[in-house]
Amino acid sequence: MNPKLMLDIFKTSLLARRFEARVIQMAMAGELPGSLHAGAGQEVCQIAAITAMNKDDYILYGHRGVAYMIARGTSLTAILADIAGKEGATSRGKGGVMHVVDVPHGILGESGTLGGGFVISVGVGMALKRRYPGRVVTYFFGDGTSNRGTFHESLNWAAVQKLPCIYFCENNGYAVSVPTSTSTAVPDISARAAGYGVPGVVVDGNDAAAVYEVMQKAVERARAGHGPTLIEAKVTRLFGHYIADQQTYRPDAATVIATKDPLPKLQQTLVNAGVLNDTLLAQLEADAQRQIEEAVATVKAAPLLAPETALQDLYA
Amino acid sequence: MSVITYSKAINQALAEEMERDENVILYGQDVAVWGGIFKVTEGLRDRFGPERVFDSPISENVMVGAGVGAAMMGLRPVVELQFADFIFTAGDEVFLKAGMWRFMHGGAYKVPLVIRAPSGGSGFGPEHSACPEAFIMHAPGLLCAVPSTPADAKGLLKEAIRLDNPVVYFEHKLLYAMRGEVPDGEYTTPFGKAVVRREGDALTIVAWQDMLRRTLAAANRLSKDGIEVEVIDPRTLNPFDRETIIESVKKTGACMVVEEAYRTLGVGAEIGALLLEHALPYLDKPFKRLAIPDVPLPTSQHLVNFIVPSEEDIYKAVKELVA
Ligand SMILES: Cc1ncc(C[n+]2csc(CCOP(=O)(O)OP(=O)(O)O)c2C)c(N)n1
Ligand SMILES: [Mg+2]
Repeated sequence: MNPKLMLDIFKTSLLARRFEARVIQMAMAGELPGSLHAGAGQEVCQIAAITAMNKDDYILYGHRGVAYMIARGTSLTAILADIAGKEGATSRGKGGVMHVVDVPHGILGESGTLGGGFVISVGVGMALKRRYPGRVVTYFFGDGTSNRGTFHESLNWAAVQKLPCIYFCENNGYAVSVPTSTSTAVPDISARAAGYGVPGVVVDGNDAAAVYEVMQKAVERARAGHGPTLIEAKVTRLFGHYIADQQTYRPDAATVIATKDPLPKLQQTLVNAGVLNDTLLAQLEADAQRQIEEAVATVKAAPLLAPETALQDLYA
Repeated sequence: MSVITYSKAINQALAEEMERDENVILYGQDVAVWGGIFKVTEGLRDRFGPERVFDSPISENVMVGAGVGAAMMGLRPVVELQFADFIFTAGDEVFLKAGMWRFMHGGAYKVPLVIRAPSGGSGFGPEHSACPEAFIMHAPGLLCAVPSTPADAKGLLKEAIRLDNPVVYFEHKLLYAMRGEVPDGEYTTPFGKAVVRREGDALTIVAWQDMLRRTLAAANRLSKDGIEVEVIDPRTLNPFDRETIIESVKKTGACMVVEEAYRTLGVGAEIGALLLEHALPYLDKPFKRLAIPDVPLPTSQHLVNFIVPSEEDIYKAVKELVA
C-alpha cells in the first residue's frame, strides 16, 4: 500500500484519538455530557475503510466514536458543538454525539436503534443506483448489531437487487458486556454472507493496509453493479462500552490497552517504511493539539442552542 | 366529472404522479406483476417499468426503512404495506425513522415518503383489520391522510406524493369498490382542511372513511325524523383541522365522534379534549364517542358487527343524545 496514504490514515487516527481523549477528559470534569462511546482502538480500521471510498460516496455509521466524521472532513468544532448542545451543532441539539450529520461530506447519520442503518442504507443504495450510478454507501456496525433482523432482511434485499451497499462490521468481541460467543451462533459474522449469496470477508482490523485493500475490492464490486460485500474487521475496543464503564465483565481489560492498540503498530510500520520519524511525529501531535484546542475554545465561546430549537426541524 | 371507484382513483393518482415526476417509485409485496392483492396498482409496472414499480421481499422493516433512505436521497417512494396493521411490523421504521430521522439530524434532509396502508375491512382478523390512524396521529413527524371518497383518495394521494414530509395514507378496504365523482384534469386536495359533508344544527358528528359512510346513511334516516346533524370529514388527521370542528360545535352545541378503532386514546379522545380546551362554554350536551370497546377485531363477521359502530348504532346514539 502507498505509504503516503498510510501516513494519512495514521495522521487522521492520531487526531481522532487525541480529540476523543480530550472529550473524555472534559466529560470527566463535568464540562461535557458523558454520552460518548469511545472509539479508541477502532479508529485505524474505520479510517482505513473510509479512505478506500470516494469523497462523493456516503456513509451511515454506528455509535463507536467520531473517527468516521473526522475522516470524512467534518470539523472538530461541529462535532464538539453537537456534544455540547451549542450553536453550530450539526443536528441542532437533537442528536448529540451519536447523530452527527454532514450531508455535504456524505455523512447521513446514525440510528439510535442499533441496526436501523441497515434498512436506511438499502434505500440510499436504491437512490444511488437510480440517480447517481457508480456511487456507493457503507454502513458501519458492530458484531452485536448483526443480530438484529434488519441485518438479515436488508442484506437479502441489497443482494437480490444488487445495490451498491457495503456492510462493514467492526467485530470487537463485545456488545456492551456480552461477549460475541454468548450472543452469536457463528464465530465469524462474515459467514452469514453465504446465506445471502454475497462475498463475506474477514480482515484484521488492526492492519490498515489490509482493511484498505478489502474495502477497495468491496467498493469496486459495488460500483460495478455487482452488489454488496460483507466485511468483518476483527478489532479491539480499547476502553469500556461507555466512558464510565468499569468493565468488571472483561478479564483482560487491564492488559488490552498495552497489547492490542493498533496505533503504535501503524506508527512503527510507517517508521520502518521511512515515512515517519520523531520530528514529523512531534509535528503531527502538535498539529492535532492545535486543532483540538481551537475547536474547544470556539465551542466554549459559542452560545447554547436556544431552547426553542426543540420545536424546529420536525417538518420540512 | 367522471365516476370511478376509490381504488381506481388511487391508481390514477399514482399513474399521474409517476408520469409527472420520474423520482416517484412504487414498491411492495405483489404490487408489480400482479397489481397488488387489492388490485390497486394494476397496469403500473407495464406502464412505468420494473425499475420504478417492483415487487419487494416480505421485509417490512426494509420496505419502510429503505423508503426513508431513498427519500433522504431525493426519490419519492410510495410503499404499499399489504395491511395497515403491518405498521407495527415496521414500527421502528415508521415511527422512529420516517417520523424522526429528519428531526434527530437537525433537518439535514427531507423525507418525502408515502406509506400506503390498507385499513379496516373487518373480518380479516385482529392482525389484518385495524384502523391504526390514532397511533400515527399521536406520533410526531408523520402526516396522516384518511380519504373517504374517490375524489379525495385521488387528490390526497397526489398531494401526499408531492409533500416533502412522510405521509401515512390509509386506504380503507371496504371503500375500494365505492364509486364517486372525480374532477377531470389536474387537481390535488390540500392536507389540513376538513370538509362539511352535510350541514345541520342538531349535533356535530366527526367521522371518516367507512364510519363516515355509515354516519351519512344514519343522517338520512335522522333527517326523515326531523333531526339534521352536521357531519364533518376531517380528511387528514395530521395536520388536523381543529377550527372546522370547533366552529361547527359553536353552532350545534353537541359533538359525537364515530371511530372504527379502539376507544381509549383514540382520535375521539383527542377531539373530546380539544372541545374541553376550546369549546366548553358552547357544549350543552355531553360529548359522545362511538368506537370499538378496546378489544382487537375478531374474524367472525357477526362478532365484528357486534363491536364496530353500525348505522343503527349511530342512529340510536343520536336519537338518545338529542332527545
Ligand atoms: C435496538 C437496540 N437495542 C439495544 C440498544 C442499546 N445498545 C447500545 S450499544 C449496544 C451494544 C452494541 O454492540 P455492538 O453492535 O457489538 O457494537 P459495539 O458497542 O461493540 O461497538 C447496545 C445493546 C440500542 N441502542 N438499540
Ligand atoms: Mg461489539
